[in-house]
Amino acid sequence: MTATLNASPASSSVDASEATPLETMAAVIAHDLKDGQWVEVGANLPVPRAGALLAHLTHGPNMTVMLAMTKAYLRNEPAIEEYEYITDVGAMRWAEAYYPHDQLLNNQKHRRNGVFYCGGIQIDAHGNSNLIGIGSDYEHLNFRGPGGIGTCNATAQSGRWHLVTTSHSPRVLVEKADYISALGYGDGSEGYRHKVGLRNDGPTFIITPLCVFDFDPNTRRARLASVHATSSVEEVVAQTGFAFEIPADVKITAGPTAKELHMLRTRIDQNGSLR
Amino acid sequence: MTASVVEQRRSRIMEVDDVIDFIKDGMTVGIGGFINSGHPMSLVRALIKSGRQDLTIVGAASAGLDVDLLIASGSVKKLITPYVGAEGLSSIGPAFRKAAQDGSIEIFELDEAHFYAGLRAAAQRLPFNPWRAGVGTSYPIVNPALREFNDPITGDPLIAVPAIDLDVALLHAAVSDQFGNVQHNGTRYGDPAMYAAADATFVSVEQVITVERVRANPAGTTIPGATGIVRAHFGAHPFSADGYYRPDEDHIRMYLAAATDWLKTGSRTAIDEYLETFVYGPTDHADYLERIGIRQLFSLDEF
Repeated sequence: MTATLNASPASSSVDASEATPLETMAAVIAHDLKDGQWVEVGANLPVPRAGALLAHLTHGPNMTVMLAMTKAYLRNEPAIEEYEYITDVGAMRWAEAYYPHDQLLNNQKHRRNGVFYCGGIQIDAHGNSNLIGIGSDYEHLNFRGPGGIGTCNATAQSGRWHLVTTSHSPRVLVEKADYISALGYGDGSEGYRHKVGLRNDGPTFIITPLCVFDFDPNTRRARLASVHATSSVEEVVAQTGFAFEIPADVKITAGPTAKELHMLRTRIDQNGSLR
Repeated sequence: MTASVVEQRRSRIMEVDDVIDFIKDGMTVGIGGFINSGHPMSLVRALIKSGRQDLTIVGAASAGLDVDLLIASGSVKKLITPYVGAEGLSSIGPAFRKAAQDGSIEIFELDEAHFYAGLRAAAQRLPFNPWRAGVGTSYPIVNPALREFNDPITGDPLIAVPAIDLDVALLHAAVSDQFGNVQHNGTRYGDPAMYAAADATFVSVEQVITVERVRANPAGTTIPGATGIVRAHFGAHPFSADGYYRPDEDHIRMYLAAATDWLKTGSRTAIDEYLETFVYGPTDHADYLERIGIRQLFSLDEF
């Protein structure tokens, strides 16, 4: 048997209560992932990156981790460097295979077992995301977004996907997005995704620095699932641009355990992007 | 006498000007690479300098500031790409943002899966390729060229992505032999899809190698027959070339500052100065590299 570095030290010097909001988000992502799933580690997206790597290190030896357009196995790496660019050859040195980008898009079956994280300059109450722009006149937008990149397709093909934003504000979390580049539950009507030809479910969660929303199966509208220990229901209400249901007994988000936090800080996020 | 017989295999090595002569006003030109890597910048700068107008630019599936620079120069009429930006250096290309908000360029809004479906349709000489994702989103609304239709077999609503036919693809790669057998380092991004969709493909390379070296690794050939090869050490600068050098972040930030000034103030002073210094001013690619400076170029080692 090959010795691996997976096992964290039995005693760790960090206290789980020290977890920052972004570390809590990474833990939510990690706890949701299952061994054997296919997951992309994007560049310049520190939270999904950390979440996917944390799952890979803690319970995902058979996960397929795509890093810098390569297939990577990273459990033997003492510390996993962070890369600013998805094209960084430093990250390519772990490659067991290349995913040439056109082939990655031509072939979609792998996404059935894939988990995807979708951002947005707007995310609305029915889980639709907008990366196109803000403003009613498309020809003269008030704010031109970067473009949808691959989020329209990835959210239509992935077996499971979440909306993730690091800026929980009324400008981002809106009642209705100006444009939809990645379809959530559309107008919220029953069977909307099926009606437009999609075979997968809409988003499971909206994960933010303050809380986790899930979606009411009857209305397909975001509702409060849990609040992070570092925030409060009042803050979530004040910072959210859509009305949402609050359960009588609000759960506290399960953040990283002490062991997970130690692993995040020593092996995944040495630069402190999440702190 | 019979017609003359060609006795020798023709070299495909070209000068930059030969490539630019091939490109006419109004053509559809694909630019390879991916965000901060692998763009054929010596060719892009020469294209801008030529003053070609009304181009339809097909940026990479994730285009970088190569496309932003083309927009800033005023040579772009229509843009086809799902993203223009520089990741952590700039989440959105400033000239792209400026031109889009002003409505001064036409944007063919699409997802990267639609992008490759369109290139694939062109490669297959079909009018369109179908794709599942996109119905119910804003894409077919803001871009009516993406047409919803019902699949004749299952009845499912799908998107018809029209062929994205390239008159010319401009790419950058690691090496080629003189006969146009190109080999990339790294994952090669979506460059082969552009090659397949293009009537002619011109590739700038870091190095021209012997055909024997290509034959030693034929599986490594990614573009088996470029129309023309241009010698260009540091040809992707200020972006990275896999296996050679990293992005020149200092230079990219300098460009971003100039383009952002145009976005924020409407003044073209800074961006025009950038264009004059690094695009219009240099007599050729070597002169451009001298303006960057050998110490700066040699500081970009990957490891």
